[in-house]
Amino acid sequence: MDPVLSVRHLTKRFAGLTALSDVSFDLGRGEILGLIGPNGAGKTTLVNLISGAFRASEGVLLFEGAPIGALASHRRAKLGIGRTFQIMRPFPGLSVLDNVAVGALFGTGGGHRQLAIARELAHQKLAFVGLAHRADRPAEALGGPDRKRLELAKALAMNPRLLLLDEVMAGLNLAELEAVFTIIRKVRDEGVSVLVIEHVMKAIRSLSDRLLVLHHGEKIAEGEPQQVLSDPTVVEAYLGRRRAPHEGAGT
Amino acid sequence: MKRPLARAGLAAALVVLAGVPWIASPSIVQFGINMLLLAALAQGWNIIGGYTGYASFGNSVFYGLGSYGTAIAMLRWHLPFGIGLALGTVVAVVFAALFGRAILRLRGHYFAICTLGLAEVMTAIVSNLEITGRNTGLVLPLLRGDVLFYELSLALVVVATLIVAWIAHSRFGYGLIAIRENEEAAAAMGVDTTRYKVLAFSLSAAISALAGGIHAYWITFIDPVSAFDIGLNVKMIIVTVFGGPGSILGPVLGAFVLSGISEVLSTEISTVAGLFFGAVIVVAVVFMPRGVADLIRRFDKYRWRYFAENVRANRL
Repeated sequence: MDPVLSVRHLTKRFAGLTALSDVSFDLGRGEILGLIGPNGAGKTTLVNLISGAFRASEGVLLFEGAPIGALASHRRAKLGIGRTFQIMRPFPGLSVLDNVAVGALFGTGGGHRQLAIARELAHQKLAFVGLAHRADRPAEALGGPDRKRLELAKALAMNPRLLLLDEVMAGLNLAELEAVFTIIRKVRDEGVSVLVIEHVMKAIRSLSDRLLVLHHGEKIAEGEPQQVLSDPTVVEAYLGRRRAPHEGAGT
Repeated sequence: MKRPLARAGLAAALVVLAGVPWIASPSIVQFGINMLLLAALAQGWNIIGGYTGYASFGNSVFYGLGSYGTAIAMLRWHLPFGIGLALGTVVAVVFAALFGRAILRLRGHYFAICTLGLAEVMTAIVSNLEITGRNTGLVLPLLRGDVLFYELSLALVVVATLIVAWIAHSRFGYGLIAIRENEEAAAAMGVDTTRYKVLAFSLSAAISALAGGIHAYWITFIDPVSAFDIGLNVKMIIVTVFGGPGSILGPVLGAFVLSGISEVLSTEISTVAGLFFGAVIVVAVVFMPRGVADLIRRFDKYRWRYFAENVRANRL
């Protein structure tokens, strides 16, 4: 099957610091790919490159077979790439409903022109993520977990074909995690491809079809969750090399 | 403004406003023209400053371009006022679109400072051109008809307010608000931020230029310093912020209330009027930071607690 997203030799340098180095992978239709790695591994940089917030220094990005590396963010959104932000970015001056309506008014294919239709759609998405009862509150009044749901609803309202989720599960308790899982799986079942960044290891293991591990900006492993998580290189990246006792002193 | 009662109230207020020049004294009509032009200017600033979140100090430049465009067309080319006004507006819109593309990349203070510089540059340019009458300015043909200018200004306020009302309930407006609230997130959701900002700036420029053209013909005299006066731009901002930036009627209410207060103060206690005016604005910002429009909307629910809530919410 043709991949929805193809990443080839993607590299991003920030004035001497290489945040992402020669990363390649494919994401299939309806696939959930988990992106993991220690802090500073380059996960968010990768999402920013795909969504268009940053331009790559080198490499090729193909979305549904077409190169998108030179397109501005809004053009990529129009093609069908939706994202959430790790540092949540609601539109604080708007109600929860109107926040989501922005996604429906723009988003894939330019979205809906009619405000009434967009708000109706926003209502459906809010019900889908379990926020319908907060629709009329100002977005800034929402607490942490609800903000995560709002981010998700905003991205979903764009009706994306590729969804980039940057830590939508951080800080959620077990029950909330389960709820978000169910939402992401439902979205996937509708044929949306999902790239999900997550720190909660248990969460990512059960959710993802495949895992991709980044470390110091490089891809160190890719494959089935179980196999990847037992890979010695991955374990080492996360836990550090076990030092011999005589090397330990003074470090 | 969905409630029919509110609509009827607005229509009634409009009829009363339109009827004023036929019954009031000439000095009140003149006060009215100034007040209405300020309301229109504030409404124009509201589009770029209130809805899009870009604090423009360039609107007085568009006002000046509208004044000079109208004056030059009438004096040098002997065109009728209407065509002169249209020409001045086109010049301002083209100017806004061209410069907007470049300077709307700047955010926050940088955008404000850059537009501030624009006004100084325009004053210098206009002071040195033959066609604009250099430092001495231009004298327009005299038209005695304060009633006409009053109704024209009122019409401009109505048109500007209708445009803003459309913006508030349209896809375009939601795009602008998204830009104001979080530009990066807006782009990620598919808002063509550059195009939207340039459109908002141009629309804002058109309204400012129309006000400038009307004012020039009414006053019959313009010079570089008064046409490109930064003070006028500051007034637009004060009035909009006082009334409620990013609301439909706020800038108009702000212009009416502040013009009224300023008029009373300057006639009653002329020497310290400026001081009192400043105090009014400080008190307004502390107790009703979202402006008169928000006060009217929420006073029913909160009553006097409204002011206390605002002080607490902003940790003042």
